[in-house]
Amino acid sequence: MADHHVVIDQLVKTYPGAPKPSVDSVSFSLPRGEMLALLGPSGCGKTTILRMIAGLVDPTSGAIRIDGRDVSSIPVHKRNMGMIFQAYALFPHMTVAENISFGLEMRKVGRSEREERVLKALDLVKLTGLGGRKVSQLSGGQQQRAAIARSLVIEPELLLLDEPLSNLDAKLRDEMRDEIRDIQARTGVTAIFVTHDQDEALSMADRLAVMSAGRLEQIGTPREIFDRPQTQFVASFIGAGTFFKGKVVEPGLAMVEGLKPLRFTSHARLGSTVQLLIRPHRLVLATDAGQPNSFTGTVEHVVYRGQTLTLQVRCGDRLLQADLPTHAGVLPEKQSEVTLSVAAEDVTLVGEEAP
Amino acid sequence: MSAAPATGSPRSGGNSRALLLMLLLPGLAALMVTFLLPLIWLLRASFASDTTSAFGGGDVTLESYRAVLFDPFYWQVAWNTLVLGFNVAVPAVVLSYPIALFLTRTTSRFRGVLTALAVAPLLTSSVVRTYGWMVILGDRGVINSGLQALSLTGGPIRLSNNSLGATVALVEILMPYAILAMLSGFGRLNLQLEEAAAMLGANRLKVFTRIILPLSLPGVLTAALLVFVLAISSFVTPRLMGGGRVFVLGTEVFNEATVTLNWPLAAALSVMLLVLFSSIILLYQRALSALET
Repeated sequence: MADHHVVIDQLVKTYPGAPKPSVDSVSFSLPRGEMLALLGPSGCGKTTILRMIAGLVDPTSGAIRIDGRDVSSIPVHKRNMGMIFQAYALFPHMTVAENISFGLEMRKVGRSEREERVLKALDLVKLTGLGGRKVSQLSGGQQQRAAIARSLVIEPELLLLDEPLSNLDAKLRDEMRDEIRDIQARTGVTAIFVTHDQDEALSMADRLAVMSAGRLEQIGTPREIFDRPQTQFVASFIGAGTFFKGKVVEPGLAMVEGLKPLRFTSHARLGSTVQLLIRPHRLVLATDAGQPNSFTGTVEHVVYRGQTLTLQVRCGDRLLQADLPTHAGVLPEKQSEVTLSVAAEDVTLVGEEAP
Repeated sequence: MSAAPATGSPRSGGNSRALLLMLLLPGLAALMVTFLLPLIWLLRASFASDTTSAFGGGDVTLESYRAVLFDPFYWQVAWNTLVLGFNVAVPAVVLSYPIALFLTRTTSRFRGVLTALAVAPLLTSSVVRTYGWMVILGDRGVINSGLQALSLTGGPIRLSNNSLGATVALVEILMPYAILAMLSGFGRLNLQLEEAAAMLGANRLKVFTRIILPLSLPGVLTAALLVFVLAISSFVTPRLMGGGRVFVLGTEVFNEATVTLNWPLAAALSVMLLVLFSSIILLYQRALSALET
């Protein structure tokens, strides 16, 4: 923790009159140069955290430490952080270059150095030659780039991005996603971005912090979050899947009501009640209905998605979702009977209650 | 919903143009009757030789214009009018600006109520409000009797029956217009721009001078123009508050038309006022387009 660049420590925000805190004792930290995604449904407190780090919202309690120094009492204009607003918030009465230059002027940087740094920033975001344009003459993607240049030119301690891609159309979004990632990697700036889009978070961030109702549910690499969700919320918010509740009867084996026993590889105590998750793409078609971890049922719903075939299979009183790779052979049809199986290591333990 | 716009789709371009014209027609007709025709009459009347006819009887003559343009008194009146307009517009805008700014930026749930309160004086006739100011500023009004009761002044201070009274009353009467004009002109202000500026290192003063002020300038200009135009065309307030000592174009038009009964001269003065208006609006548009490019 000590060598971490940014440390968020027990941060709490309770708005006056609110029954419970919007941000409830959240702690996490980032090493220098890391890109962290704050992910969660709307109203989970992720934007409030971002705004507290920025200095736009005062925390009720807790600390925000940059290089070990608590900055929570430093006013916003002295905090030296860059922020990309959802709607970019470029100043409409200034040119692109004037926008980028603004932060440098506030820092009393001399004119010639200012001009030089603005040109460099324009190059960085591939807006070379567009400094003289009015903001309104830029496309959405260009405005985004200008906003990035404006917040990076001041060499901020930390770059904060509030839903950076939500105002762009699908094609531009993919482009800007790579672009932001690339710029962040090249400048080495530590960055935190807020998003409700799991694809965005998984593909852009070094680590994800998943939030729900003001609390931090889990923090980890995209792979950890996706493959080893620690709570049912994380498991259901990120990716699809089917949950099974079972009782552990012997190590790695749980009895699930109405189905065959499920094998899994994680450790769970004997006799405890566990929540197990199977991701749709981990299920495969099986030929032998007698093999372990297999489910036989009737296909209720089929959606052909090109690369995958999404099936809803009725097994007893529950519905299993499976994404099967499409191939040249015969694919299961509606109302047909199929057997699906899953490897024991692909059954994820997401919750355990003591007996 | 998707079927509805089909009837007015670009395919039937000719029809929709005709429809637009038809929709415009009642308004155009009303403007024609209530504005353009009277204006033509006014112009005609200003060139009339028969001073008794309101609709311009007699020969066409430049006599009234000659009388207006070669009489230093009317030049003085025109100057008085411009000075009054300026003296009213500046304080009205300065006083309304913080109010309008507050109403734009507040997130209070009483914002609607406060806005309504700010413009509520418009519900009262300006005549009534002028009388109110007479009560306040008169020689035996609230202020003077208060000052004398405190023995701060020996006799009454001249607060009304002069241009000071007219100015004070006009400022207050026209402020709601200024506030309304600014509220609609502050559309480009937005809290996020202020936050962005603060994050870039601007303190509150810098946020105001570099972001809020320049972005609110078009609204300020519109408000100033509106108040100025309303002030130079005002008649009731300068007449009542001026006590016959304030000579502006509005009061002079009234005098010529109802006291001297020289209708052509009144018409010529009105045309002068109109020319004044037009030049100011032209200047305003220049300034606005300079601001926006």
